[in-house]
Amino acid sequence: MLSPLARTLSSAALLVLFAAGCGGSDQPSTPADPAQPLKVVATTTQVADFARNIGGDRVRVHQLLRPNVDPHDYEPSPADMRAIAEADVLVKNGVGLEKWLEETISAAGFDGPVVDASTGVRIRDGDPHIWHNPLNAKTMVATIERGFAAADPGDSAAYQANRAAYDAKLDALDTEIAKRIESVPADRRKLVTNHDAFGYYLDRYKLTFVGSIIPSFDTSAELSAKQVSGLVAKIKATGVAAIFSEASLPPKTAEAIGREAGVTVVAGEDALFGDSLGPEGSAGATYLQMEEHNTDTIVNALRGTAV
Amino acid sequence: MMFFEPFQLPFMARALVELVLLGALAGTVGVLVLLRRLAFVSDTLTHTVFPGVVIGHLMAGDGGIFWGALAAGVVTAVLLTLLTHRRRVSEDAALAMLLTTLFAVGVVVVSRQTGFTSDLTAFLFGRVLTVTETQLAQTAVVTVVVVALLAVLRRPLLLRAFDPEGARAAGVRVGLLDLVLNVAVALVVVAAVKAVGTILVIALLVVPAAAARGLSDRLVVIVPLACLVGASAGWLGLVVSYEASVGYGVRLASGATVVLVLVAMYGLAHVAGFVRRKVGLSRARSAIVESAA
Amino acid sequence: MSERAPTLVLDRASVAYGDIPVLEELDGVVHEGEAVALIGPNGAGKSTFIKALLGLVPVVRGRIEVLGGPPAQARRDVAYVPQADTLDPDFPVSVEQVVMMGRYRRIGWLRRASAGDRAEVADALERVGLAGRARDRFGTLSGGQRQRVLLARAIAAKPRMLLLDEPFNGVDAVSQHALLEAIGSLKEQGASVVVSTHDLAIAHLACDEVCLLNHHQFGFGPTGDVLTPERLRATYGGHALELRGDRVIVTQT
Repeated sequence: MLSPLARTLSSAALLVLFAAGCGGSDQPSTPADPAQPLKVVATTTQVADFARNIGGDRVRVHQLLRPNVDPHDYEPSPADMRAIAEADVLVKNGVGLEKWLEETISAAGFDGPVVDASTGVRIRDGDPHIWHNPLNAKTMVATIERGFAAADPGDSAAYQANRAAYDAKLDALDTEIAKRIESVPADRRKLVTNHDAFGYYLDRYKLTFVGSIIPSFDTSAELSAKQVSGLVAKIKATGVAAIFSEASLPPKTAEAIGREAGVTVVAGEDALFGDSLGPEGSAGATYLQMEEHNTDTIVNALRGTAV
Repeated sequence: MMFFEPFQLPFMARALVELVLLGALAGTVGVLVLLRRLAFVSDTLTHTVFPGVVIGHLMAGDGGIFWGALAAGVVTAVLLTLLTHRRRVSEDAALAMLLTTLFAVGVVVVSRQTGFTSDLTAFLFGRVLTVTETQLAQTAVVTVVVVALLAVLRRPLLLRAFDPEGARAAGVRVGLLDLVLNVAVALVVVAAVKAVGTILVIALLVVPAAAARGLSDRLVVIVPLACLVGASAGWLGLVVSYEASVGYGVRLASGATVVLVLVAMYGLAHVAGFVRRKVGLSRARSAIVESAA
Repeated sequence: MSERAPTLVLDRASVAYGDIPVLEELDGVVHEGEAVALIGPNGAGKSTFIKALLGLVPVVRGRIEVLGGPPAQARRDVAYVPQADTLDPDFPVSVEQVVMMGRYRRIGWLRRASAGDRAEVADALERVGLAGRARDRFGTLSGGQRQRVLLARAIAAKPRMLLLDEPFNGVDAVSQHALLEAIGSLKEQGASVVVSTHDLAIAHLACDEVCLLNHHQFGFGPTGDVLTPERLRATYGGHALELRGDRVIVTQT
């Protein structure tokens, strides 16, 4: 009879051998079958939306992040891992937004092309929220189209056509937003939002950023007492009309500062979509809808008119 | 068959090996924790390893986590043993001090970083599906070392757990043995950080041993049974979270699912133990009746 | 009566934890085959006395010699029997496993127990009258029976000196009898016994000598000589003493 120690060691050895056997061969990446849709895995809600628009019915997109979930806080599910393992192309936002991606890709055993949608976009201070400027969105969409065409040359014409159509919508969006911002008196074009997600938007449409509720790009950092009173003082000094709280974050912090500074807090249903698109059926379910909704909310609050 | 199919995927197979190894490791150490009634000490260690994880990650990225955790775990184990053996403070107070201080250190260090949240939740709750082969090797080494150590020391450990006075009288170095146990628990936490995180590892330590104890009165059965419970919960937990995710689109965090399966198994073991005792009692009763007749 | 070797020599010894002396002026001799009862009120230092014989408390004055040398060196041949009610009754260990613990010193950590070891265990259980309960879980026995198992554990170690810490507390008559029998047979084989107890009757019955303790030693010598009302009164600090027939009963307030 083996002693308990020997029994344990042999079981452990057997298990390690089992794992080595199972972990052996990864699937080599095969070129896309012209008859099958291109299998795409997209990380964020935004790039997934772009991917669907550019790919149309020539792609099947598996989206990793759910709407209203903080992209910093992601655990891959078995289905996600399997999708990544079997994917033809992977699309990411880039600029360090998906810190967990490298580890996940390597564990899933994916060695195909990774399309970094931020290629060619001018980055401000390492801020990853590049999509809020529709011009950046055009760049991202172009990069995605190139990626799809490289992986699936047979459908490159379709991708090109889809992109052209979407570009037109993006241009129209850009013009529309600029027009609505113009309707706000120049001295009222300043805002405080839940965190620094809107840098590119403010930059594009010449709005002034007074400060954010949460100072860093990380949604979990809490403000110290000194930072809070500093922000309240700034708010009072600049005469900002409204504070905006994002859909994917708890509005309580924003409300607290709003009370102290005596300004309106726009939160909850009227909140802005900063980190992610909204769920299906919400006001921000697609990229275009999200930008329009955000603009409406901002403009109305700044003008002091009802929604 | 859904109980085996998922493990053809390499990441599932690695997760399974990790959890089976951890089941064996935590089952063995967990029985000793149970015998010594040290669940709270173990809980303390799970909190104090946290700053080691944070600092290790800061200094050396993903690869640094294991060594940071190891350093913190060993330091805590030593401090804990010294504090409780000096008797200057009661055990509870010593533990509370260590636990809160070190956890706070971890939180302070975290808060000075940006973009750290994803790592934070990973450390607290685990990411078993992305376990690497290096991490598997580390777990395997820790398992072999700890199980071997406890096997070699099983007699003095048993004597000390059962009768500390008698152990001292027999010349057993009680302080050193306690240090060994504390270090063993710390090592379990270190090994488990990746798979189930520092918060859930306490379940792996406590539940399999408790379930096994409910089913048997003999250590020679209890220890392997605890390992088996731990390992099967890992296996079943992975199967359940895979089926839920791939079959039904429902997200169940893998580490937490394993813990839930563990608790369910404990419930079953409890019922089985209850039935067993009833059957044993009624057999004894009928034996008495027979012999009286 | 042949010359019997001294197994315990106390030569004006004091023992202390750190700077504070706990026991002072210990003085006396115990020989092979003799038993000495340690008698004194609670907190008098009886447990400390026993720990000192195990080498667990330092001697700061005078000298204590166990089996011809310093206490720590004699541990191999000294067996200690703690109070059974300090042990966890739920512990998953069998009676014979407990007794086998007494053999660990001789077997070591890794070697398997031999047939000889198992025979010693069986013999020790026989001597305390519990051979039939060997496979039962320790906690399923009564308090007195558990105490007997702990004595069997000590017997299995084949000691030359046996130290018992209040073994008769709350123990049923059958177990008490069994304990006394086992102690008696050990004495016959030449082992010395040191037993702390409150029970003066037991001291008279089983012990050749008595040591009266209350931080100081108030007497050490043959039972009949030392167990007098005056000495008892001095030891217990003048607490009420009742005399019933030929038995001295000490009550403490």
